[in-house]
Order: sequence, then structure tokens, then C-alpha cells
Amino acid sequence: MKQSIKLLVLIALSTALQSVRGADDDPLEVYVVNYTLQYFASRIAGGHARVEFPAPRDSDPVFWKPSTATINDYQKADLILLNGAGYAKWLDGATLPRAKLVNTSRAFSDRYIKIGGEATHSHGPSGSHSHTGTAFTTWLDFQQAILQARAIAEELVSKRAGLKDTFEHQLDLLERELLAIDSELMEIGAKKPGIPLMASHPVYQYLARRYGLNLRSVQWEPREAPTDEQWAELVGILDAHPARWMIWESEPAKETEDRLAMLGIKSLVFNPGANVPESGDWLDVMRENVDNLKQIL
Amino acid sequence: MSDSLYLAWRYIGFNRWKTLTLMACITLITVLPLTLQVLLSETERQMLARAASTPLVVGAGGSALDLMMSTLYFGRDVPELIDMSDSEEIWKTGLADAIPLYVRFRARDYPIVGTTLDYFDFRGLGFAAGRPLAVLGECVLGAEAARRLELKPGDSLVSSPDNLFDLAGVYPLKMSVAGVLKRTYSADDLAVFVDLKTAWIIEGLGHGHGDVARDGDTSVVLERSEDNVVANASLVEYTEITKANIDSFHFHGEPENYPISAVIALPHDAKSAAILRGRFLESLVTAQIVVPFEVIGALMQNIFRIKNVLDAVIVVVGLATVLAIALVFALSLRLRQREIETIFKLGCQRATIAHLLAAEIILILFASGVLCVGILLIVDHYSADLVRLIFVN
Repeated sequence: MKQSIKLLVLIALSTALQSVRGADDDPLEVYVVNYTLQYFASRIAGGHARVEFPAPRDSDPVFWKPSTATINDYQKADLILLNGAGYAKWLDGATLPRAKLVNTSRAFSDRYIKIGGEATHSHGPSGSHSHTGTAFTTWLDFQQAILQARAIAEELVSKRAGLKDTFEHQLDLLERELLAIDSELMEIGAKKPGIPLMASHPVYQYLARRYGLNLRSVQWEPREAPTDEQWAELVGILDAHPARWMIWESEPAKETEDRLAMLGIKSLVFNPGANVPESGDWLDVMRENVDNLKQIL
Repeated sequence: MSDSLYLAWRYIGFNRWKTLTLMACITLITVLPLTLQVLLSETERQMLARAASTPLVVGAGGSALDLMMSTLYFGRDVPELIDMSDSEEIWKTGLADAIPLYVRFRARDYPIVGTTLDYFDFRGLGFAAGRPLAVLGECVLGAEAARRLELKPGDSLVSSPDNLFDLAGVYPLKMSVAGVLKRTYSADDLAVFVDLKTAWIIEGLGHGHGDVARDGDTSVVLERSEDNVVANASLVEYTEITKANIDSFHFHGEPENYPISAVIALPHDAKSAAILRGRFLESLVTAQIVVPFEVIGALMQNIFRIKNVLDAVIVVVGLATVLAIALVFALSLRLRQREIETIFKLGCQRATIAHLLAAEIILILFASGVLCVGILLIVDHYSADLVRLIFVN
């Protein structure tokens, strides 16, 4: 009889322990606004978090608009990782729980790059206002990427204090890889200081600032043929900025590439890694970017 | 004694109307103050419960009571406003979570409460129908507001103009009802919840309109320069936020400078609460941090001073009733003089007669007591609902 009671008590205790541990062992539900954050969070959390990035693969996460159902999914997450710097325009019109929001770039928000030059408008008694924005591909400065990764790790630790060592170890590994890329890019920048470069899209501001690239941007889409006005704008820029390379977010159309070649401009791809790549992962993409950029040397 | 009780019982049964009147008098005079006590205690508990569940409130300096009435009960009086940056400052301390509230506008006489989704989690508000707020221009209704306005998810509700005589003022905003909350028997039942940004749009700090820089309509353009387009007053702003025009909605100025009426601060522990209060006391900022329980507790003490007056009235009425009952018994004895003499002549002692009368009184008091306990049990069982019915109107 005594044995049976002991056995029952043991079973009850182990069940209670399991239920307590279960709550802490449940993977965190993390929602992010771009692939870079998804990669960082997945690397740091490993199997301890389900990191969701619901934007379609062919969309631009900056301008992608989630459905109401997807916004509800974001609301239910344990953690919502934001890039900050005005990334993901849909956030302006969405309602998300402040307690779950984490601006991963908050640590360097005083170093955001403001984009000027856009038209302003005014009406009524409020005076004029401008819609100038902030450069948002913050992680292309890999030192900033490290700070973003640290912010993610810090939040994960705050949610799962018991996994602090695991998260910090994973962060350490990620940091080393990011530092290696940072060093390589610094070398490239140092070897060709001030070399004029063109960018097909204004998304490389932080890359240019950190690695000393002399970059001017147009607003071209890789898969759309530039208009005559856009070509004229480029030619105008080249007068004062004799670039021999244009950096693209993805492979440009053959016709565009050929016409650029006629102007003496070669094309190279530096994929910002905002969305899930066709193959490989974020780090593979960045390593390929570095290799591509070495062509300017 | 059992003989006396039997005779008393028979007497009471024979004079049932007189007995019932006596029982009613005794029961009423006993039940009235006790019921009042139960209901007042429940009222105090319910009113303090909302304050007690709200650890700290930050608002502009001034009347703490106005701040509480607006923050906890969404009262009509709008306290001095503070900036959204005050809410962010609380977050940055790492000592507490902050829930900003902007209670200023109304929709068909129901308070529009601009807040974040964290408020719903904090108050444990569940949905009876529909879903939480998701995008700008949506609202979620409290159960009672939805019932009275006869609205359900998918319907729309228009915000009331801030000032009827301000013809050039803010356009009313047509809000889409996203969900209806479960009944909580609190001020939340009568509220219209919106995202803070929607509240700011109602105020006119944010708005949507056609692209004056790109649209061909020159009639709305007052002045056009290389980097600025000035539109005239004929530029029509959207009065409803839809999927088609949501991207055109924008805000003027920095969100951290936008107004809110209060911030509910949720400290992580008692130490964090003490540090946070200390910081506000030390700093020279105009904002104040208050403990709602203390403010509402003090208010309750003042309000319930009226209970002392009621108690005094009941004591006087009670005394009068006791005297009346004594008179009834005295008159009853006089009326029963011949009956008592007959009992005496039958050989009963005076003590037996006293036993008989005492038994009658005991039976009446006992029956009144049972009735009294029964009524009090019923009142106590339904006291929460009774008080809610009185206050959630």
C-alpha cells in the first residue's frame, strides 16, 4: 500500500514538474518584418523559437502589406522584431501590442540616415510638412547588424532567462561571422577609397557610410527597363560622378545591363537580404555580395 | 416551556395579521441597514477593484481625481494632456510597461478611448464577437455600448465633432467596428476603443487626402514650388479609412509630441514601482505619478461619509419602531386583560403568563430573524450584479 502511495506521489510530482517546465520549453512565437531579422533570430534562438516572416518571397518587405489575418497573427506572437528606421511601411497603419514590439536598431537610432530631397506639401493651418524618410537597410553596416543581433538576443533572454547561455553562445558565433564580413568590406573600402559607384536603388546608404563607398543612387528596378528620362538622369549624374560599376539588388535585365555596358558601366549584385533567397541563407547571400563587390578592385 | 410555546404558536396562528405586521416591522428595520451595508461594501469593493488593479497612473500635474476619473472610468472631463514621449520614457526606464490612453473624443455620447493593444491584455478583455483592432480607422466596442448602439462587427460608427460650432474643425471619422468585447461590468463596457493613431486622426493630427503633388487637379493647389505644394481649403480629406486610401494617411510632426491623457504604468515589481515613483517625485517635470488605489480610496471615504447619516437615520427609525412594537405589545396585553385574568383564575401563576408572552415574542423574533437572514443571503448573492446594474448605466 505504502509503495503504491509513493508511486502515486512520484507520478504527481513528475507531472507537475513537466507542466512547469513545459511552459518554459514551449518554443517562442517570434514574428519579424524582414528576412535578415528572421535569420538572426533563428540563429540565436535555434529550436527554442519559431521565427515567422510571412511576406511572400517575391515581395519587397518594406512596402509589403499584410492582410488583416496576418496582422492578427503578428498580434498573437510572443515577440515582434522590428527593424526600425521606418522599415515596413505597413506598421504605420497597423495596430500591434507595444509590449511585444522590439526595435532592433534602437541602440543606434541616433545614427539613422535621413533621406532628403523629396517634395513636401502643405494645406490648411498646419503649415507645410515633408515626407522625407529614413534609410532603412541598417544591417548593411555589419557593425549595426551586430547591434541588431544583440538586441534580439537580449529580448530572447528576457523571455527565456533559463536559456541565456545558449542564446549568448549562438549570438557569439553569429557575431564572429558578421565581423568577418565587416572586415572584408572594410578592406574593400580601404583599397578603393572614394571610387565612384552607382546604385540602382537608394538602399545602400549604411553600406556606403560604414565602408567609405562613394555611392550615388538612381531608382531603377532590376526587372523593369529604365525610361528615357531615367537614362538621361543617369547620364547627368555620370558627368559629375564617373562611376564604372552599378550595384543592383538582384540581377538586372539583360537589355539594361547591355545598355549600361555601352556607357562603360558594369553591373554587380549586392542583395540586401531583405527577403528569403532562392537558395542558401542570409550569410551565403552576404558572402556572395562581398565576392561580387571585390570586382571593383 | 413547550406548553407555553404551543399556546403561543396557537395564539400567533389565530392573530396572523397582527403577527405578520409585527414580523414585517422587525424584519424591515433589521434588513434595511444590513442590506445597505452589504451594497455599499460591494460598491466600494467594485470601485476600488478597478483602482487597485491599476498600479500607477502618470498624467499631467493638476487634479489627481480628474486624472483618475478619466483614466479609470473614462469620465467626460478631459485632464491636462501630456505627450506620447512620456509613455516612451517609462518604457525606456525598463522599470515598467506603459499603456498610453487618450480619452478625449466621443462617438454618440460614448467615450472614444485611444490606446494600444496592451490595454486589452492588461484588463483581460475578451471578445464576444469579431476580432481585435488591426488597422487604422477600426474600433472595438464595449458590450453595453454595442448593445445600446445596436452595432456589430462590420458596422460603422462615426465620431462626434469636438465642437458643433467649429465648422472648419476636424472632420468626423467613420470607424469600422472590428469587434465587440465581452461584458465586464466596468467602464470598459461603455467605451469605444480605437488605436492611438486613430484617435490622433480624429483630432486632425493625421489625415488622408489625394496626392496634391501628383494629381492633375489644380483647383486644390494654392501654390506650387519645386519642393513644396500648398493646397487650399477645398482639398477634401478622407472621412473614412479604407484599404484604398489607408496609404494616404499620414501624420504631421513627430509622434512623440502627440497628446495623450494618461499612461497606465505597470511596474515589474514593488521595487520598480518605488523607484519609478521616486524618479517622478525627484524630477521637476510637470507630470505626476499617482497610485489610483490611494486617490479613489480617499474619494470613497468621502463619499461613504453619507453612510454615517444613513446609519443615524436608521437608528432613529429603528428606535421608533422598537417603541411602536413595545406599544403594540402593551396594547395587546391590555386587550388581552380578560384572557390573562381567565388564565390566572384557571390556576396559572404569573410566571406562566410571562412565559406565554415571552414565547410569543421569541417566536415572532425568530421568524423575523429567519426572514432577515434569507433576504440578506439573497442580497449578498446578487450584490455584485445589483451594484453593476446601478453603476453601469
